[in-house]
Amino acid sequence: MARPPLDGVRIADFTWVWAGPYCTLQLAHLGADVIRIETKTRPCVTRLLPPWPGGQPGGLNRSGYFNQYNQGKRSLTLNFKDPEAHEIARRLIAKSDVVVNNFAHGVMDRMGFGYEAVRKIRPDIIMASLTGYGDTGPYRDYIAYGPAQVPLSGLSALTGYRGWPPMHAGFSYADPNAGVHGAFAILAALFHRAKTGQGQYIDMSQWECAMDLLAEGLLEYTMNGREPERAGNEDPWMAPHGIYRCLDRPEPVMGVTVDQWVAIAIADDAEFARFAAAIGQPGLASDARFAAFAARKAHEEELNRLISAWTAPRHADDAARTLQQAGLAAAVVADSRYLAEEDEHINGRDYFVRLEHPEVGTQQHCGMPWKYSWTTTSVRTAAPCIGQHTDEILSGLLGYSVDDVSRLRSQGALE
Amino acid sequence: MAGALSSLKVVEIGELASAPYASKLMADMGAEVIKIERPGVGDRARTRGPFPGGTPHPEKSGLFLYLNANKLGITLDIARPEGMELLERLVAETDVLIHNVWPPEMDRVGLSFDRLGKINPRLVMTSITPYGLTGPKRNLRAEELTIWSAGGVCVLNGAGPEHPELPPLKTFGNQAGYQGGVHGAVATMGAVLAAMRDGEGQHIDVSCQEAIASQLEMTFEYWPYMKMIATRLGKKPLQPVESMQCKDGGWIYLCCIEEHQWKAFVDLMGNPEWAGEEIFADRLKRGENWEALKIFLEEYVSQQTVLDLYKKAQARRIPFAPVSTMGDLLNSEHLKARGFFVEIAHPVAGAFKYPGAPLKYSATPWELRMPAPTLGQHNQEILGGRLGLSAARLGELKRTGVI
Repeated sequence: MARPPLDGVRIADFTWVWAGPYCTLQLAHLGADVIRIETKTRPCVTRLLPPWPGGQPGGLNRSGYFNQYNQGKRSLTLNFKDPEAHEIARRLIAKSDVVVNNFAHGVMDRMGFGYEAVRKIRPDIIMASLTGYGDTGPYRDYIAYGPAQVPLSGLSALTGYRGWPPMHAGFSYADPNAGVHGAFAILAALFHRAKTGQGQYIDMSQWECAMDLLAEGLLEYTMNGREPERAGNEDPWMAPHGIYRCLDRPEPVMGVTVDQWVAIAIADDAEFARFAAAIGQPGLASDARFAAFAARKAHEEELNRLISAWTAPRHADDAARTLQQAGLAAAVVADSRYLAEEDEHINGRDYFVRLEHPEVGTQQHCGMPWKYSWTTTSVRTAAPCIGQHTDEILSGLLGYSVDDVSRLRSQGALE
Repeated sequence: MAGALSSLKVVEIGELASAPYASKLMADMGAEVIKIERPGVGDRARTRGPFPGGTPHPEKSGLFLYLNANKLGITLDIARPEGMELLERLVAETDVLIHNVWPPEMDRVGLSFDRLGKINPRLVMTSITPYGLTGPKRNLRAEELTIWSAGGVCVLNGAGPEHPELPPLKTFGNQAGYQGGVHGAVATMGAVLAAMRDGEGQHIDVSCQEAIASQLEMTFEYWPYMKMIATRLGKKPLQPVESMQCKDGGWIYLCCIEEHQWKAFVDLMGNPEWAGEEIFADRLKRGENWEALKIFLEEYVSQQTVLDLYKKAQARRIPFAPVSTMGDLLNSEHLKARGFFVEIAHPVAGAFKYPGAPLKYSATPWELRMPAPTLGQHNQEILGGRLGLSAARLGELKRTGVI
């Protein structure tokens, strides 16, 4: 195994909440030294959010949310109310390749770390801002919260049961999406810098990153002048194509019954014939209502009722396996327990990471969605406790003496 | 100034969204991308639309045209020995090969890093597949719906506890594909930087299922940390974070997560008496008593217009957002000022507006250089011009269905 791809690359990470930390998580996975600049006076909100081990909150280091998206990073606490904190940040930027933030437009400028200021410290710096609305345009000062970015993007208008109002994605999808696009943008800028020596500024809008994922909807409008209809789990070119109820989980979770479902997508007539045989009704393949795609689409409701009758008395895993063995696209609609314990495939790929953390012990976390054949890429450490690396960064990297550090601490600059 | 990746060469063997989106991100930053399609039929995205007038046509699919602008296109049947030999010659001169060939098909045609890495030791080969290249589900058939479900996000979306009979709901479009693609692009660029440093390429295995599971916010961790399962049926702990309909028929997303945002919203509503009720005193109480709160809010919101309420709220630092329709987006004054939508004129499909740059660089442009290729458009230029195949040989390959 060889050095990680970003070994020796340092990221001054001013991000918080989710979009920014998801961006720098990718860079940490690739081996960068990601230093999160935090403050105890206004900690990252995810440090305060559940889940906590055993459901018990307490302190700033127990959140599963924070601990997921900050694996492999270091934490430096600075209180910018103290002028010396600014000097520490300047020294850090001078030793960094990349500065990242996901504050609203203008916040970094007001802190004294806008691009013009930062490039004076280090001329070939790469700086990326993952704002909600971008750095230009009439709404650039609008504020963006994760859940609101999904409807803003247009995805909600396209997502929903037939005849129902717009729905959501079920999570703040625009956040990690902006984060991973930001990581790509930074890597491309590092490539350009390696070739030319030139750094640059990257203006990213979370809104625009999300709109890159709904071209089919936008093009229906620009090509045909109409808003696409919401169509639930249906597909215009496949039938059956849906999510069907199976038996509930055998045991309740926290006293609540948990339902389970199977997703099925049948791409063409030949697959439908195999499907009909697999569910023990081979006659459906020659039934005029279902034999050909157009007929199946016209009788989709009837077909879905037949399928639900087959899935209802089965466990989702059994239903999925029966169809998978017939070479068909079927999957359990996975919940967290299914992924964590029951999906033997993802558990067999060493995807999950279990690293020791001083306050939450060894917990199961999601790892990297890729594997390199040669270079090391790995989750090297659990997420940092707040300020865990302040001393080592100040004295080891930035040249402060032990006395300096204790003076800075006693004057509150390291809060 | 050329794009950030203008010296990078990429070969793509892609269908639908995942590998094509990864190489699109690179092409838009200046990389040269040669896309390989199956002779005769081409990329499956060509069959999926949307199409002008709703009439399917392989050169007019909106999804295909969006994902493949800025690429050169050739046809090649890599299952045939002559086709694989030409692929090897292309791979000898490229930096990156990105593909989403289904693993059993990789085995059948002999598409492997063992073979291609020998031809080009600096090659970065990225395989983006539904479940990855190892493990018991490696060879399973998969479609967008089943991958999105297997990744663990689908279970989170749908009607709430009032409608447990309605299924988990897929998010629109090809999201599993896009996420496999963009995560694959990140992994690829990491390996490209490593190859510049080390002089050695490698093979990257990207699982779309894992790319999705990596984005479960805090919901995955609820199981290991607290032995709880998050699904679409859970009641939201705090409110308001919901869409509501306005008097102009459009919808607005109400979002008061912080206490000061709620106070500002109450002020915007003119401090109605009901807002002082104890049952709405904090965000958790507003979550508990959402059914009651909803009635009051609906009454207020139904007298507003979307854009006016959005702007009034934002002026008070309340992060509301419209539930944008496609028309809203195309007509947005903000997006117009940023020049987000770009027009692409295609020789067969015509000229339409498409989503543009997801990011703006200060020094290197995001650039639209050419529309998506027609099927086999650059066969002559790449196979004849660059690889030096004679006209007679090209004719023969065409006759035998290799190109």
